[in-house]
Amino acid sequence: MLKELKLTINGQPYELSIHPRTLLVEVLREQLGLTGTKRGCNEGACGACTVVMNGKSVKSCSVLALSANGAEITTVEGLAKGAELHPLQKAFLDYGAYQCGFCTAGMLMSCKGLLNMFPNPTSDQIRDGIDGNICRCTGYNSIIRAVEAVSRGDYKETK
Amino acid sequence: MIKDFEYFGPKTLNEALVLLDKYRDDYKIIAGGQSLIILLRQGLLQPENVIDIYGIKELDYIKSDGKKGLKIGALTTHREIEYSDLMKGSFKVLSEMEHLLSTPQTRNRGTIGGNISHGDPAGDPAPVLMALGANVKLASVAGERILDMEKFSVDYFETAMEHGEMLVEIELPAPPPHTGAAYTKFNIIASDMATVSVASCVTLAADDTCTDVRIALGAAAPRPMRAKAAEAILKGKKITDALLKKAGQAASEEAEPVSDISASEEYRRELVKVLTARVTKEAMSRAKAG
Amino acid sequence: MSEKYSVIGKNVHRVDGTEKVTGTAKYTFDIVLPNMLYGKILRSPYTSAKIVSIDTSKAEKMEGVYAVVTAKDTIHKKQGIWRRFPELCDEEILCSTKVRYIGDPVAAVAAIDEYTAEEALNLIEVEYEPLPAVYSQLEAIKEDAPQVHDGVELNINVTRHIEWGDVDEAFKECDVIREDHFVCSSQAHMCMETHCAAASYSYDGKLTVWASTQASYYTQVLLAGMLGMREGDIRVIKPPVGGGFGGKFELDSAQFCAALLSKKICRPVRIVLTREEEFTATKRRTPIVYTSRIGAKKDGTILAKEIRGITDGGAYTGMGATALYLTGFFSSFPYKYPNYRYDGYRAYTNTEPTSAMRGFGAPQAVFVGEQQIDLIAKDLGIDPIEIRRINGMVPNYEVPGQAFIQSCGLHQCLDKIDNYIKGRGKLPANRGIGVAAYGFMSGGIFNWFDTPYAFSSAIVKLSIDGKVDLFTGACDIGQGSDTTLSMITAEELGVKLSDIRIHAADTAICPADLGAWGSRETLMNGNACKMAAADAKRQIIEFAAAKMGVNIVHDLDIRDGWIYLADRPERKVSYYDIVREAIRGRDGETIIGRGHYTPHRKGMISPAYSFGVQAVEVDVDPETGKMKLINVVTAHESGTVINPIGITGQLEGAIMMAGGYALCEDQPMDQGKILNPSLADYKVIRSLDMPKTEIIEVDTYEPEGPFGAKEAGEGLTNPTAGAIANAVRNAVGVTITSLPITPEKIFMAMQEKKAKEKKAK
Ligand SMILES: Cc1cc2nc3c(=O)[nH]c(=O)nc-3n(C[C@H](O)[C@H](O)[C@H](O)COP(=O)(O)OP(=O)(O)OC[C@H]3O[C@@H](n4cnc5c(N)ncnc54)[C@H](O)[C@@H]3O)c2cc1C
Ligand code: FES
Ligand code: FES
Repeated sequence: MLKELKLTINGQPYELSIHPRTLLVEVLREQLGLTGTKRGCNEGACGACTVVMNGKSVKSCSVLALSANGAEITTVEGLAKGAELHPLQKAFLDYGAYQCGFCTAGMLMSCKGLLNMFPNPTSDQIRDGIDGNICRCTGYNSIIRAVEAVSRGDYKETK
Repeated sequence: MIKDFEYFGPKTLNEALVLLDKYRDDYKIIAGGQSLIILLRQGLLQPENVIDIYGIKELDYIKSDGKKGLKIGALTTHREIEYSDLMKGSFKVLSEMEHLLSTPQTRNRGTIGGNISHGDPAGDPAPVLMALGANVKLASVAGERILDMEKFSVDYFETAMEHGEMLVEIELPAPPPHTGAAYTKFNIIASDMATVSVASCVTLAADDTCTDVRIALGAAAPRPMRAKAAEAILKGKKITDALLKKAGQAASEEAEPVSDISASEEYRRELVKVLTARVTKEAMSRAKAG
Repeated sequence: MSEKYSVIGKNVHRVDGTEKVTGTAKYTFDIVLPNMLYGKILRSPYTSAKIVSIDTSKAEKMEGVYAVVTAKDTIHKKQGIWRRFPELCDEEILCSTKVRYIGDPVAAVAAIDEYTAEEALNLIEVEYEPLPAVYSQLEAIKEDAPQVHDGVELNINVTRHIEWGDVDEAFKECDVIREDHFVCSSQAHMCMETHCAAASYSYDGKLTVWASTQASYYTQVLLAGMLGMREGDIRVIKPPVGGGFGGKFELDSAQFCAALLSKKICRPVRIVLTREEEFTATKRRTPIVYTSRIGAKKDGTILAKEIRGITDGGAYTGMGATALYLTGFFSSFPYKYPNYRYDGYRAYTNTEPTSAMRGFGAPQAVFVGEQQIDLIAKDLGIDPIEIRRINGMVPNYEVPGQAFIQSCGLHQCLDKIDNYIKGRGKLPANRGIGVAAYGFMSGGIFNWFDTPYAFSSAIVKLSIDGKVDLFTGACDIGQGSDTTLSMITAEELGVKLSDIRIHAADTAICPADLGAWGSRETLMNGNACKMAAADAKRQIIEFAAAKMGVNIVHDLDIRDGWIYLADRPERKVSYYDIVREAIRGRDGETIIGRGHYTPHRKGMISPAYSFGVQAVEVDVDPETGKMKLINVVTAHESGTVINPIGITGQLEGAIMMAGGYALCEDQPMDQGKILNPSLADYKVIRSLDMPKTEIIEVDTYEPEGPFGAKEAGEGLTNPTAGAIANAVRNAVGVTITSLPITPEKIFMAMQEKKAKEKKAK
């Protein structure tokens, strides 16, 4: 039996009919074509599917879509403001904080969740903040340098 | 792949309890879903009805009553506990424990009630709750009952909850003065489940005699367990390094660990030995300071 | 124009940067084609069994199922990447009569969605007759062991022998000889994007495959062989790839089954392996047991080494034959052994096949070699850095009969690390620093694939506005070759990086390239791109010279968009203007530059080698054996650095992977069944566990490489496990000879040591 789901993604309200078993990541990727969000494990262990839900980072493979009813969700597609990249994105580019890029959306969203909690996180907070995201390519340290730069205020967010 | 189910999203505790009663034969509760969704996907559980309690706002709280202690609603997330201002004094250990539990996304979404209901003997909260002398409140359409945390965990992924019942609250008694608590978790990768974990809560008299001590072990038996033989060695005495060593030895003997891919039984016993002494020493120094 | 280069050596944004940070990059994993079906693969639950029958009728009848394939739908061929050796092409992919490991494919289904496909798998009835099986290489080579492949004596799949000098005589002259045994475990590539492919076979008999591959050319050719099609009728496109690390350059089950299903029904089919399939049914790092004997004179000169390695091959050959060879070759690195002998044996077992993984047998060799050299240094009372200085390779050194090394900065790297260690002074108790020296190749010279094409080729096409389209078969799998090659092309042509648009690894429009493995793209494909750019540049300069009317004694060059007289740079014309005019002047003919590269007369292994020395500082908890990585300092030389951010990234990533190999990554098995096929149980280093990293670049120039560059990718994976093992010994005095170095192993070894010391008293 299909169920109604209402949620807001990157500022856009959606109304959908879904099977109750549907996971949030499936709604994003398969129903709405927001393929920026990835799936690396499907078991809550890799963080590639991280999105920000009501201000906090969560793994979209570990949330039933119906549990997100009424929620505000931000995915990597909602990070830039129009043509202007988000400070995290600019810093990731400058510091080479990605290689294959498959973990990058999840990393960025974990960092976004972190900045929501701590606008100027310390190095330790950054390390902890991305600990839920596996990156097989970069060894994390370039990501940490990028977020440190954002934390220092090297990149200003346009209002 | 997850088998489809009927979905219910009650918004109040009452609605939830009625649903539990109605679908008594075949339901599964979902809270944060951090553990349950994995079981559903692996096909280990194929419930007909899933009752999503995450929307029950009335179970999401941390209340402090100076004299009586702390009350934590079952749907309080790990993250809320980690950063709550109420985690002071000997309750600080709760926030420290939560900080060690998994990773930010899981802590943002997972609940303390879901964690202990899951009944994983390697879970972090249970040993700490045991050391702090917690009780849990269970509710059903028939009413409520209070259970000692020690009685709550029964076996691997099994709790004392009956069908139709759910966990609604965790109650932590206010600790006597000069009480200190500490928790340590052994793993290879920081965010992993514990290979072995130990929580300890020590109360000292004015002359530093140990008037009370509660030591609880995680991942050292089919359920989180109290190390009572170890406690007995320390209680009523002035704790010395030699006594701590003995207590560690006792804990290691009363533990019932298994061998698996993370560690052998023998090594787990060694870990219990070392960590029991270490963490109790830390609890003791906190008791002195507090 | 004071700096030597205007593009290379600069910190630039990668050419695929914005699409990756905005989530707009489309990976194979993201591809959805009109009318597409979703495929799933049925795999053997047995380690060894005869297939008695397969009944797919129920699955075929299920609503939403459009095709089911088994071996019956194939042309009954076996594939392998060692095409020159038919006996090593041993993998059917869809098994016809026998399954050889848990995960061997037997059937595949295409359905309207993944749920339906998975349910359909449950309806396929396969009758198996279980057969005896064998799970370790040492069991497999026994007389009466069950046979994994019929007619393969003692299950020995490949043997390799490397020898120079007179080893037996040399040992007689040694003052100290030691023999040690080591065990290297397996490791999963653990790419974040699991293996996946989307295939679309059209009614006109053409097949297009989007694949998460590190060698689209191999995929094309191997698919052609397995489907009985002409290579030219198959187009393989490599979208952005979510990691490879050696796990994605063979034909895999997702590619083959998707193609076969699509061909059967002329509809697009996409298959994405689950994480569990990725762990159990792809390929993995080769586990090896070694016996190594080494002998030295009192002054520290090593005279001889003799090493035997037996590798666990798993069920099929894959690239395992190369790993067997390279572990033997790199066991001699980076030292001037005057006498050396290696005997390698690869044994089939009924386990997941083992194959190439970053470092390709070398991390295992270095784990063994670098521990043993520390141990013999200790026997001799010589400082570990000193013994490496005494025996370390030098520029223009010839590995007898094997390889010729041109540039080599090993000794400068040793000096840097020596300084670093001395600077650290005395360490606190239970802390230790271990070092490991290493070298690696810049692409292999081997052609077991039997390609008739150059190893790398490139085409450069200029547009009327001076913009450059670069076509190359190189595969960027995250390591950044698209950026590096664009930089090389821009530098050679004298244009801006933003003037280049790269089109890579699409077999229909790009020239063939052997792909991203063996750290070959920078040197080999870089040379091809440089040559193509130079070819185009020559054509422009010809026109410019005529147009500018310069005296023929002048040389013209292009830089930063200006064509100028080399010795009178103020005399210049705009490159962009000249291109426009040149094309008009040639009757509108496009300016195209071509380049290719195949190493010739460069020995048997590689045209160039890079070197380095790594120091790892660890802290060991003496009561539990828990080890923490504190700091990793690497002195490294890779010739001219083309893309500095790229090298730092490669190094830090390598430390995560090789540190994990040392610390926690393992695939324990019970009777051939992998016990931890999930990311909850397969442990990798995460940000909280990642040590500090420092890189010290040592300058070298490699004459064979583009602008003097050589590899900086896989080689960086080599030293870490060995350095960690040495650090643990220096911290707490125990030698751990098997990987991974778990706290439990350290703890047990410390207990043993204490017991021994007590007894001695
Ligand atoms: C990658 C990963 C790593 C983890 N690491 C750790 C770790 O290091 N330490 C640790 O302790 N945990 C760890 N966990 C487990 C996880 O933190 C908890 O188990 C989780 O927070 C449970 O809470 P939940 O709200 O998500 O419960 P759910 O997954 O929704 O439910 C778990 C179980 O409890 C039942 N349940 C939930 N709430 C109630 C209730 N109020 N009354 C009755 N039954 C209920 C459900 O029916 C289900 O059986 C990890 C999980 C993941 C995915
Ligand atoms: S896909 Fe969600 S955590 Fe890995
Ligand atoms: S960039 Fe490849 S996994 Fe992080």
